[in-house]
Amino acid sequence: MIWLGWRLQRTETLIAAALLGLVAVVLVPTGIEMAHAYSTDGLSHCLGFTKGSPTCGDVIGSFEQRFSPYTALVDWFTLLPGLIGVVLAAPFALELERGTQRLAWTQSITRRRWVTTKLGLAVGSTAIVASALILVLVWWRQPLVKLDGRMDGGAYDSQGVVILGYALFALGLALAIGAVWRRAIPAVMVSFVGYFVARIFFDTWLRKRIASPSSLTWRASDRDPLQLFHSWVISEGPSDSHGHFLGHIKVFCAPGQGVCAFPKRPDYMHALYVPASDFWSLQLVEFGMFAGIALALIAFAGWWTLYRE
Amino acid sequence: MSDAAIRADGLGKQYGSHWALRDCALEIPAGSVTALVGPNGAGKTTLLKLAVGLTRPSEGSIKVLGLVPREDEAALMPRLGFVAQEHPLHMGFSVKDTLTLGRRLNPSWNDEIARKRIDHLDIPLDRKVGKLSGGQQAQVALTLALAKQPDVLLLDEPVASLDPLARREFLNSVMEAVSEREMTVVLSSHIVTDLERVCDHLIVLSHARTLLAASIDQVLASHRLLTGPRGGDDVVSRVHSVIRESHTERQTSLVVNANGHVYESRWEVHELDLEEIVLAYLGYRALEAAEQ
Repeated sequence: MIWLGWRLQRTETLIAAALLGLVAVVLVPTGIEMAHAYSTDGLSHCLGFTKGSPTCGDVIGSFEQRFSPYTALVDWFTLLPGLIGVVLAAPFALELERGTQRLAWTQSITRRRWVTTKLGLAVGSTAIVASALILVLVWWRQPLVKLDGRMDGGAYDSQGVVILGYALFALGLALAIGAVWRRAIPAVMVSFVGYFVARIFFDTWLRKRIASPSSLTWRASDRDPLQLFHSWVISEGPSDSHGHFLGHIKVFCAPGQGVCAFPKRPDYMHALYVPASDFWSLQLVEFGMFAGIALALIAFAGWWTLYRE
Repeated sequence: MSDAAIRADGLGKQYGSHWALRDCALEIPAGSVTALVGPNGAGKTTLLKLAVGLTRPSEGSIKVLGLVPREDEAALMPRLGFVAQEHPLHMGFSVKDTLTLGRRLNPSWNDEIARKRIDHLDIPLDRKVGKLSGGQQAQVALTLALAKQPDVLLLDEPVASLDPLARREFLNSVMEAVSEREMTVVLSSHIVTDLERVCDHLIVLSHARTLLAASIDQVLASHRLLTGPRGGDDVVSRVHSVIRESHTERQTSLVVNANGHVYESRWEVHELDLEEIVLAYLGYRALEAAEQ
């Protein structure tokens, strides 16, 4: 059955691998270039909280500007786990669409074996391709992570196990929809849209709620506090000494006069942030949620296929 | 009669509010070759799907080789060959890959049987299944079922989509297989003439119910067409079961399933062929044709 499952999944696995190859074609040369520039520009001296010498700001600035088109591009790669997942779910839906599962079911193997092998292969290949994607992205971003950390949106979701969670979620969604709908192309397209919506919901609304952010108030005249270094700052602004944000700063203009009086500089600043040290716990929680939903969806797809006929 | 290879009892299958099969009780003797005949939508495909476990009964039970399909899947499936109506195959597979599929998924697979059949039929091994003719595809599907060396072979409308020549060749293949190996075969069709040559048993299904189930010899021996003057058919119907009656101004024609010998001096007794008998059961006006 593994032979048959693989034979029927070959094309999609190659598509996913080709996608990965395409990513490597973009990332490997730029990654090498970036690592090279990082060492020749002497950026390693500018790391840390103090940012080293005064020229460091300029060096970092020009480095980041030079590679900003690539980072902008790589931000879009956050769609790739979804693409990989839905593509690798296609063979399952395609088989149900064509009715060829009945051919397998009337051989000597049990349905349960058929379902577990098909789903197992889909999960396995998704995990392998997604893990390879993680490795390439982590390697590529190394210099940027040293400079800016990995808590910022674009860096956070192209690093670590969440990518695997995303891919499995897209796979599970497409498998479940495909099992019920029995149409491969529509199931793949709908679940990709579903993946996109789920990601937007998670990134913009849910993540900061599960992250349980810390808050911090400091005198505006002081330098930025150490805790904020490489952290994910959810919100930051002028506040009173108790940490209540001041809201809009009012500008007073005397009637009839052309010159307005600007208010004095606020005394305090307040920030809501997730420290860099929370990276792995946040990744694991997010991975757990996506992978858990994925598992439930995959189990549903299997159950539906086994018992609803 | 030997043991039943397939036994159904009060078997019914409901799809939504529609009964595809209802109250079906039948026994298919082991070693028989049975024609399952009925119009489209009579429940033939449903019955076969229930037998092979592709669907589950809504009521009643069915046993194949004493096992419950789906429940005893692991024990039953290796002994059961099935060719579905649309004979689903992987169109992108070569014939060779298709045979590999059979070998990999069936522990009882006999590769020699498979290769010989394909060779004998002049089907190129490296040709894609999607590029084969309908007849060749049906033959590949049959090969898959036969090389598994089943005890029970179920063929759902195997020849419906084939041209007359391919139809003949396919049925020849089935007969050949039956002669080589002891097995129970059930073939469904909506045309009995397709199967008459091959089968020794007959089941007529209509509107989700079994109308007739017997050996073909018995069916031919017991069904008669009686023609006589109008009226007086109530005497006949007291002794024999009347399947179909038709009346003209002067004459009455009856198709009966005779209970013993028919002697009625008033009636002229004619023999019927299998198609006429089946059509009588299915309610077509076979009598007019027979009268001419």
